[in-house]
Amino acid sequence: MTDETIRDVLTRRGLSRRAFLQVCASVTAALALSPAEAADMTKRLETAERPTVIYLSYQECTGCLESLTRSFSPGIASLIFNDISLAYNDTLQAAAGQAAETAKDTAMKNAWGKYVLVVDGSVPLAQNGAYCAVAGRSAVSDLKRAAGGAAAVVAVGTCAAFGGLPYAAPNPTGAVPVSEIVRDRPVINISGCPPIAEVITGVILYYTTFGVPALDHLHRPMNFYGNTIHDRCYRRPFYDRGMFAKTFDDEGARQGWCLFELGCKGPITHNACPTTKWNGGTSYPIESGHPCLGCSEPGFWDKGGFYKALSTPTGHWSRTGVVSGAVAAGVAAGLSTAAVARARQGRAQKKAASADSEPKNPTS
Amino acid sequence: MNTTTLGAGPGAARAPVGDNKQGSLSDAERLDRAMTSFLRDFNTTSALYLEACVHCGQCAEACQYYVQTGDPKYTPIWKVEPIKQAYKRLTGPLAPLYRLFGLKKAVTIEELEQWQELLYDSCTLCGRCTLVCPMGIDIPSLVLAARHGMQEAGLVPDDLWGPTERARREGSPLGATKQVLKERIAWLTDDNNVTIPLDREQADILVTISSVEIMKYPQSITAMARVMNHIGASWTFRSDGYEATNFNMLSGDRTGQREATMRLINAALAINAKTVILPECGHAYQAFRWAGATMYGRPLPFRVVHISEYLAEELRAGRLSLKSDARSMTFHDPCQIARRGGVTEAPREIFRALGADLREMGPTPAGNWCCGGGGGVITIHRADSLRHRVFHLKMQQVEDTGAALLVSSCSNCRLTFDDGQDFFHWDKTAHSLVELVADNLAERH
Amino acid sequence: MNGASVLDFARGPVFEIALAMLIFGIAWRLVGIFALRRPVDYSEPRAGTGWGSGLRMIVSRSWPRREFRERVLHWDIVSYIFHVGYAVAILGYVPHIMLIRNLTGLQWPGLPGGVIAFAAGLSAGALLALLGHRLTSPVLRRLSNFDDYFSWLLAFTPLVTGLMAYYGIGGNYQMVLGLHILAGDILFAWLPFGKIMHVILLAFSRGTTGAAYGRRGAPI
Ligand code: SF4
Ligand code: SF4
Ligand code: SF4
Repeated sequence: MTDETIRDVLTRRGLSRRAFLQVCASVTAALALSPAEAADMTKRLETAERPTVIYLSYQECTGCLESLTRSFSPGIASLIFNDISLAYNDTLQAAAGQAAETAKDTAMKNAWGKYVLVVDGSVPLAQNGAYCAVAGRSAVSDLKRAAGGAAAVVAVGTCAAFGGLPYAAPNPTGAVPVSEIVRDRPVINISGCPPIAEVITGVILYYTTFGVPALDHLHRPMNFYGNTIHDRCYRRPFYDRGMFAKTFDDEGARQGWCLFELGCKGPITHNACPTTKWNGGTSYPIESGHPCLGCSEPGFWDKGGFYKALSTPTGHWSRTGVVSGAVAAGVAAGLSTAAVARARQGRAQKKAASADSEPKNPTS
Repeated sequence: MNTTTLGAGPGAARAPVGDNKQGSLSDAERLDRAMTSFLRDFNTTSALYLEACVHCGQCAEACQYYVQTGDPKYTPIWKVEPIKQAYKRLTGPLAPLYRLFGLKKAVTIEELEQWQELLYDSCTLCGRCTLVCPMGIDIPSLVLAARHGMQEAGLVPDDLWGPTERARREGSPLGATKQVLKERIAWLTDDNNVTIPLDREQADILVTISSVEIMKYPQSITAMARVMNHIGASWTFRSDGYEATNFNMLSGDRTGQREATMRLINAALAINAKTVILPECGHAYQAFRWAGATMYGRPLPFRVVHISEYLAEELRAGRLSLKSDARSMTFHDPCQIARRGGVTEAPREIFRALGADLREMGPTPAGNWCCGGGGGVITIHRADSLRHRVFHLKMQQVEDTGAALLVSSCSNCRLTFDDGQDFFHWDKTAHSLVELVADNLAERH
Repeated sequence: MNGASVLDFARGPVFEIALAMLIFGIAWRLVGIFALRRPVDYSEPRAGTGWGSGLRMIVSRSWPRREFRERVLHWDIVSYIFHVGYAVAILGYVPHIMLIRNLTGLQWPGLPGGVIAFAAGLSAGALLALLGHRLTSPVLRRLSNFDDYFSWLLAFTPLVTGLMAYYGIGGNYQMVLGLHILAGDILFAWLPFGKIMHVILLAFSRGTTGAAYGRRGAPI
């Protein structure tokens, strides 16, 4: 069964060639491939072996999986992913307990060395990994074992990619991203809180057909993360003209002006939101009037607040403390240097006076 | 006045030794005295000035010495570099940092010796630089502070030191002693048939003189007397307080400056003067009108005016009436009286009263070029050629007006003009404003 | 350090340290000056206390007097291009206004990005010209010291990095933005310790001379 191609499976399920081409079209569109690349991908999908996907979850909220399963399009792509390739996922499968563990072991054994390991959630290291354990095994050892048989690891969601929420200061569980644990094989980060479903499926299909895509310095596929939100934002003209919404219900907000002042992190956030959009291409946060939170970037929880403009300080320490401390110290320094100078001056005066025999008070 | 008070200066022990160093102090002692003096002088104002400079170099463009030579060492703020250095190392708020990082080196005796030329030969304290500096730094006040230290260290040009020392010994820098004054007044009275009151016991007005006038322009004294008599004022000269020129201020001799100031104050107090009139002398105006009360330590109980101010007042009051003199004239504003003294309108009122055809010089009064002899520079002979170089600016400025008559209200300027006239065989002679007025007094009916 | 952490660092602890240094340094230097001995002037003023002239000169000395224009105005204009361009970029760009609002609660409408980039570009050009002048003019070479060049550099870096961030030059935007903010932080921290302190001192030194000359009735 592992030797089946994707095309074979689809045919077996009764999908026409026409439907198959539709799948290919939507995937290549999501990946923004050139016509030549698209044709190439279609050809390869026809002959590509059906991938085996094992999906493991650690410190996470299941939001990524929600995003994935609730995606609308490319519907068939998610069909391929969910129904065809997904060999193990503890949330979606019916099995539980020992049966689930056995299923996972079997799936891994069957495709050892070839499967794609998808991970969501960060991996806690504090207390020997006790904060997250499955079947008596800590997340970190579980991940190491599963990664051992993976051809590639895909870290889905910002928690898996960069640590995400668990990683936020003060990071009580000692959470780390997947890439801190898996160092001996490719890790593709699909960040976002959650990532866009089409991005997840698109990347997995791309991997199936072409292998590891071009990645940025944070190991995110360039196809989806090559540009910032700000680069592609339809509100950008307002930014350039200096027209900003100041509150969520002012005239600027109603007119769709730029949300920078409301804390938009678009300028530093790399993601596909403005082009791929959410909910089947319906819209994306900025389009619904909310600034970008920067969810696909490392440490986005710790950037001083979602509603704090990017150019303002994150407020590392108490401002009153910093200011009053500095004023007090400055005044003290000024008074003491002046006191030293005046003391020196006094000595100089005395010295000059003892050298002088001039009358002290010329009028007396 | 006890001459042993000269002990304040290092020259007490001996006369100038001829190498532009005074006294027999060791280098270390000289340096120490200079630094001690610098330290004494620093205050909030000089600190602000020394902190605020942005090294923009614009002051150079205002200074006659840089303009005429193009030599960057004549950049005004550079002239006070040693005192700036001392300030930054020892007094400024960031002094600990400067010392910690070695950003400002300690001033050396060699530097002080080298700077003598910049502080004395090439600054007339004209104050043009103050008016251009975008930070508003009053550089001449810093030059004076630096000169205090140089004087204490005995590092004054001998040519300036001489008159200064003489002033402390004889009460006048140019040898116009009490005796000389009395004789002068006696023969002026005889020759000119004019009453010149001397040593009256009570008078409303104490009129003072510059020794330059006594020695070089005695006709000025007659002129003053004639004008005062014409007005009908209650006035007198005093042989215990006549010398208004304060060379000690120029060399940086605080003690001598105070002594000279106090002589005038005491004389004025003695006769219950309500007004002290300063003669045609720029530095006298600076030293007495603006620095006098501070030397005294409290406000002066009489008012102090420059003779041109007084004449303008009397014109307004109708007690001074003049004949008309319609010649074309130009007026040289003495730096210390106009730009740094604030007397700009008074002389012009007098010209108007004369009905003169006044042709103002290019930039005046604020930007007027200095005659080049102020600040004691006229006394320093080694600086003559430099002074002649900058005098070009002044000559050009005068020539450009096309006026027939050049008038000024400072006998030190007049001296400089005379010297320049000689040197360049120039056809213009500087005249005294007071003499001009005296020559044009209307007949009383 | 990657771009994100540089940015977080620059907006976080470094900013606060820079702010503290700025305030500390200004307080130190001003108090250190004003706690020195104050000179007393007992002379009878000709024209009032001079306060008015002091205030007037703070404004009037912003432009050279007529007498000196011929010799200084050209470089003054270059300097003005630098200063005004800098001020427009600092005070007109909305992200900067956000910072000011964050610090002071004050805010005003911003200018279009293109205007800001133009102003900053001009300013940077003028600053380069001023450096050239400083390096070639004998007077300026004589006067210049470490502070002059260092302060020049610290004034120049935020301009360049800001322009790079605006035009997306230099690849990693976060890094460039982070460096821009870092450069601004460093400028803040250095301000009170070098010549850039003139932004504060100029009012005091002009005012002092204006008042002294004003009470004498002398031209200012
Ligand atoms: S809303 Fe955000 S992403 Fe869009 S232009 Fe404004 S700052 Fe950029
Ligand atoms: S006071 Fe006059 S002579 Fe002296 S440095 Fe300034 S401009 Fe030059
Ligand atoms: S003009 Fe003023 S600020 Fe500029 S170098 Fe001269 S003293 Fe300094």
